[in-house]
Amino acid sequence: MKKTILFLLFGLFFIGNNQSFAQELTPERKQAVDSLALEKVRDLSKYIKIIGSKDTPWSEANRVIERAEELFAPDAEIGVSSLSSNEVLYYKVRKYLERLMRLNYDRVEIDWYKIEYVSDLQRQPDGTYVGVITIFQTFKGYDKEGRLIYQDTTKKDITVYVKRKETQIGGRLIGFWDVLLGDMRVKETSR
Amino acid sequence: MKLHIKNILLLGMLLLITVGGTTSCKSKKKLAKQEYEAKLTQAKTDLNAIINGETQWTLEEQRARIEEIEKADFQDTEIDELIVKAKSAIDDKQAEAERIAEEERLRELESQKVIEKETSIEDYFAIIAAAPDAETANEKIAEAMQLFAAPDVPVLIIIYHLGDIVDYDAPTTAEKYLNYIKDQKSVTVRVNNIKYDDNNKITELELIKK
Repeated sequence: MKKTILFLLFGLFFIGNNQSFAQELTPERKQAVDSLALEKVRDLSKYIKIIGSKDTPWSEANRVIERAEELFAPDAEIGVSSLSSNEVLYYKVRKYLERLMRLNYDRVEIDWYKIEYVSDLQRQPDGTYVGVITIFQTFKGYDKEGRLIYQDTTKKDITVYVKRKETQIGGRLIGFWDVLLGDMRVKETSR
Repeated sequence: MKLHIKNILLLGMLLLITVGGTTSCKSKKKLAKQEYEAKLTQAKTDLNAIINGETQWTLEEQRARIEEIEKADFQDTEIDELIVKAKSAIDDKQAEAERIAEEERLRELESQKVIEKETSIEDYFAIIAAAPDAETANEKIAEAMQLFAAPDVPVLIIIYHLGDIVDYDAPTTAEKYLNYIKDQKSVTVRVNNIKYDDNNKITELELIKK
């Protein structure tokens, strides 16, 4: 009898917990979270532009690399493609950003556009929301005479992970959405 | 005989002039004494009013009146004592007025500082975002950091707020956020709340998405 009661109590606890996990966000709240994740990708686009620019002072570029790296989940990788090869090379975020800073051009222009969701944020069983954002990147490399010597356009997919967390600040509990970017996969590269 | 009459007339005239002159001199002296007494009384009244704080005159006007009495040189010991007391009273009043004015000035300065802090942090956001280069932006960041108690003061950004539900972006710090504005070259938030310490330095900054 005792075992049955314990089993029932455990069952009720489990169902209750499961229901609270399954609680969906209102459309307005979900939109705020969607926008936040998109904003992180836009932030990354600015960071990549700054790091790649030859006008950026070395110390500034290093500081921005730190900020950009903080946007990513540990072990995330970024794909690099080229028109001269079918192979896509994947680098750890830090490595990719440091290579970007040292590209062998006299001037580099990197622009991201059409930053949008290809797969909406979907709630996973552990409460994390996962989605995919696609971006188009144009890359232009110039020599010291100002001649364009390489350019391509790459479509890349970035996985985003969003999870609600809590922290204590000034003696009060703050609920925040932690957005982390995952792998950045090359989907296609064209001239 | 003729000469005798002439002498008598001359003597009479001389007598008239002498008697008349003496009477006129006495009258003038009397008038001067009355005038002096009146002035002396008025001076004492004025000095007592100054000492007892019963005058409507400004401090400058009171000082001018004391100076005027001093210059009159009444040769009166009471007046001399009253002048000393009146000067002392004016000095006290002047010191008190200056103290009040200084307190008022400091109060205004403090309230101005608080207002400036609330507005200027947003001003700094705009200035940093619009900076033409990293060097200029860094100078402005250094200035803006003076408003904060420390570089790691928490900066919270509200992304959603409805009733009891408040969602924030991941907390960041003052230094990181100002650099973020520099990098992104745009400001997408407004100040929602600021907390200060006893030195009027920001200890927590809460922003909200525009």
